[in-house]
Amino acid sequence: MKKILTELVVTMVVIFAVWLGLSQLDWMKLFNIRQNTQNTEEKIGDLFWKMLKNTETEITSDSIVAPVDSILTRICSANSIDRKKIKLHLLRKDEINAFALPGNHLVVLSGLIAACENEAELYGVIGHELAHMEKNHVMNKLVKEVGLSVLISMSTGNGNSEAIKSAIRKISSSTYDRKLETEADLTAVDYLEKTGINPEPFASFLYRLADQTKNLPSQIYWISSHPESKERAEKIIEQIKGNDFPKAEAKDSLRFERLKAKIKERLDE
Amino acid sequence: MDCNTTDFAGYPELDLEHIQRTMIDTSTFHYQPTDHEAEKASNSYVMSMIAIMGGLPLPIINLIATFFFYLGNRKGTFFVRWHCTQALLSQLFLIPFNSTGFWWTVSIIFTPETISSKYIAYIITLFIFNLIEFIGTIYTAIVTRKGRHVEWWVIGGLTNIICKA
Repeated sequence: MKKILTELVVTMVVIFAVWLGLSQLDWMKLFNIRQNTQNTEEKIGDLFWKMLKNTETEITSDSIVAPVDSILTRICSANSIDRKKIKLHLLRKDEINAFALPGNHLVVLSGLIAACENEAELYGVIGHELAHMEKNHVMNKLVKEVGLSVLISMSTGNGNSEAIKSAIRKISSSTYDRKLETEADLTAVDYLEKTGINPEPFASFLYRLADQTKNLPSQIYWISSHPESKERAEKIIEQIKGNDFPKAEAKDSLRFERLKAKIKERLDE
Repeated sequence: MDCNTTDFAGYPELDLEHIQRTMIDTSTFHYQPTDHEAEKASNSYVMSMIAIMGGLPLPIINLIATFFFYLGNRKGTFFVRWHCTQALLSQLFLIPFNSTGFWWTVSIIFTPETISSKYIAYIITLFIFNLIEFIGTIYTAIVTRKGRHVEWWVIGGLTNIICKA
């Protein structure tokens, strides 16, 4: 029996030693996996954005894009996220929605900006979408819902436009699973805290829109694609309980008011 | 579960004998099995080999196939029973490792878990040890067909405990 045990232990040690030894090599670099995955993701993201750009109206006016861009830049620099890799796009649409596409495309609809009562709420939404990007939720959701083979065929230029539209619909207006949403919320709270922004307005935004959804369910995509909003808002409040945050600066509030006014003008046009 | 092949051309005779003594113990059984017994014992390894080829990437299939072969022969002669048990245990030994690899792969495809160097290293390790087991299985199937007794490192000892004459 002792002999068998010794042999068993030796075998296990050899197996784990081989694994540990092989783990020391950077296989990701050796097989170029990171680069290939990034390329596929970027190709799919560019394809999705091209399709969106052709079907929706993009806002390129500096007076609207710049304030949103500065929010994104501030979160990125406070959290050591490479700002250059994120492509921010604003679309003129009255739906309350923002979503992340593969390849780090962040799309914010003007309806969402108009629905925010203050700048901190917009910080929260952008932080949340940024968290989905950073945690690799976007590609995982697509692989799960669309299938790896369809995505690969899209990235090689073989996807038909209906399949691409359906994939965009899924990524922009269907749910991430609960675990991923909670992870994105808590990561967003962390981002906001490091940026010096109070996450409480973000929780209020979730709470308020959850109530409004009852009256205007077809308009509030960001909430309908983010279920259990009240529960999530409570989790955020729980997370930040007892923390102190600096008050929003008057110039930031003024800038946000100006942004909202311009957005409203565009929506009324 | 480690084993060696029978023929390493160019290797010194001493090394081969040493490996055989330590990893796979080829000795005579306490009785001389008949040709029919040798064939059945050898078939248990062939069965396990076919199951490995057919069962990949679902490791549980190999185990089920070998288990049914074991059930079919558990009332056979001692030589046949002994080798069916060794074939079954060899599959059982790899099951936790292969299952871990299988579910790790599934989690990479369907959950936020991402591919990493650790995962690739694990899959390569799995490949190496499955290959060693596969080669060992082929070797054992050939040798037992000739009526010679083969005891594997770790597995042989366990089989001796489980399988009594």
